[in-house]
Amino acid sequence: MNAFATLLVKETKALFSSPIAYVVIAVYLLLVGYTFTASLFITKMATLVHIFFQASVLLLLMIPIITMRQFSEERKTGTLELLLTAPVQEFTIVLAKFGASMAVVLVMVALTACYAVVLAIYGNPDLGPIYSGYLGLILLGSALTALGLMISALTANQIVAAVVSLGLFSLLWMLDSVAALLPDPFGNFLVGASLLAHFTPLATGAMYTSNFGFFFSVTLLGLFLTVRALARR
Amino acid sequence: MTSILVADHLTKWYGPRLAVDDVSFEVQRGEVVGLLGPNGSGKSTILRLLTGYLRPSRGTARIAGFDVVAQGLQARNRIGYVPEDVPLYTHMRVTDFLAFMARLRGLSGAALVRAVDSVVQQVSLDTVRHLLISKLSRGYRQRVAIAQALISSPELLVLDEPTNGLDPRQIIELRELIRSLASDRAILVTSHVLAEIERVAHRAAILLNGRLLTVHTLARGDRGSELRVQIRAEAGSAVQACLKAVAGVLDARLEAQSDTLETWRVSVSEPVVGEQISQAVTRAGFGMREITTAASDLEDLFLRLTAQEQQR
Repeated sequence: MNAFATLLVKETKALFSSPIAYVVIAVYLLLVGYTFTASLFITKMATLVHIFFQASVLLLLMIPIITMRQFSEERKTGTLELLLTAPVQEFTIVLAKFGASMAVVLVMVALTACYAVVLAIYGNPDLGPIYSGYLGLILLGSALTALGLMISALTANQIVAAVVSLGLFSLLWMLDSVAALLPDPFGNFLVGASLLAHFTPLATGAMYTSNFGFFFSVTLLGLFLTVRALARR
Repeated sequence: MTSILVADHLTKWYGPRLAVDDVSFEVQRGEVVGLLGPNGSGKSTILRLLTGYLRPSRGTARIAGFDVVAQGLQARNRIGYVPEDVPLYTHMRVTDFLAFMARLRGLSGAALVRAVDSVVQQVSLDTVRHLLISKLSRGYRQRVAIAQALISSPELLVLDEPTNGLDPRQIIELRELIRSLASDRAILVTSHVLAEIERVAHRAAILLNGRLLTVHTLARGDRGSELRVQIRAEAGSAVQACLKAVAGVLDARLEAQSDTLETWRVSVSEPVVGEQISQAVTRAGFGMREITTAASDLEDLFLRLTAQEQQR
């Protein structure tokens, strides 16, 4: 087993052996389930569009709880010193933590597929928007996880990491809301940097490569800055 | 002898504060070097620079020929490091943690199992090998930290204040362990306790305010304590013969004499030998006035150098 696999197994075990992962997943499913039931009875339409928007906002709230301890805890307990003085590259450590955190996000998102199954059994939903919506959730989750890890790598305090991540995610989510007030090119820039602006097409069934590219770029930037934060010592 | 560690003009700034100031020294294979200095003198920072946890602001360090910055992976592969606060993954069991650290160092399969078994034997962890680290005492945690540092048989073992928080028995055991490990590797150990360095190290590097004041070769790495014994005796009495006849006395030198009071400096293997000295002196008909622990050469040197430095 190479260093990456060793670290990935250790990080995944650490996340799933703590109650945090299960509490986050349970609360997430409960809230998404509530929205699903409510929207199904109100609209009587076989669609998951409302669910995707609800699920994406919940990701903004839940992912800081998953990522906050990843580096902060290691820094606080001193085990980061063990990792960084072992013959392992910083990016291997970052990728392993990213992979483990994404495992929780994927489990969380995958379990909401039961609502899609319910729709498929009792209705005749258009599957295209459902696929693209799930893809959007995974891409959004990946970008948020990378940014959350970056914040966690900058502080030894988990609460600070969680609050700053939540603030950053919220800001990036609604960045386009003030775009109309600004002249071009500033307005366009804000729309271009907004998570919501890039998530909306995916949630509604429109897949553009620009949206894939955006989330992919944010993920890479987040991981790169996390590595830089670790190397700054 | 081969130099395993070569630190060359190491300097580290924390913002405007100079933590390590142009420090250069070497550690050879088979040698124990002690970094000695008061708290905040830069000992831990030097270790962190050598182990790659911190990057030097200036200067270089090479481990077995590999630069700790430019060839970090190769250099770190040759170091076993026990940080000061003994950080461990306390949710893991002892053997799981050791196996994890071994895998990070590239061991696998039968070699990994052999390495884990070997370090468990070496540092006497057999009775706790299946326990959670969170359930272990401070002494056992220290041993686990040393075991992980030894897992890949490193050429350089770096121990930061290894006796902190240990009871006297554990300190003696650790001292024995360090001596036994030194035979085929280089060891760099820090302490702010002079006696510890004196007992395990071949050389002591004295630090103050980030500056290396001197590297002092210790007379004997395994020497014991020095006692100052004041005895009432007539001039020309056979006091020296009486002292040297006591088991555990390595040497006895007359330090001062006034009328019938003689002050002897006695090297002993262990401080408890003082009790036997007292009995022997009384039995021989001399008057026993006082036995105190004498300042060692290293202690004298340390006090002199730090006083000079502080006067600057």
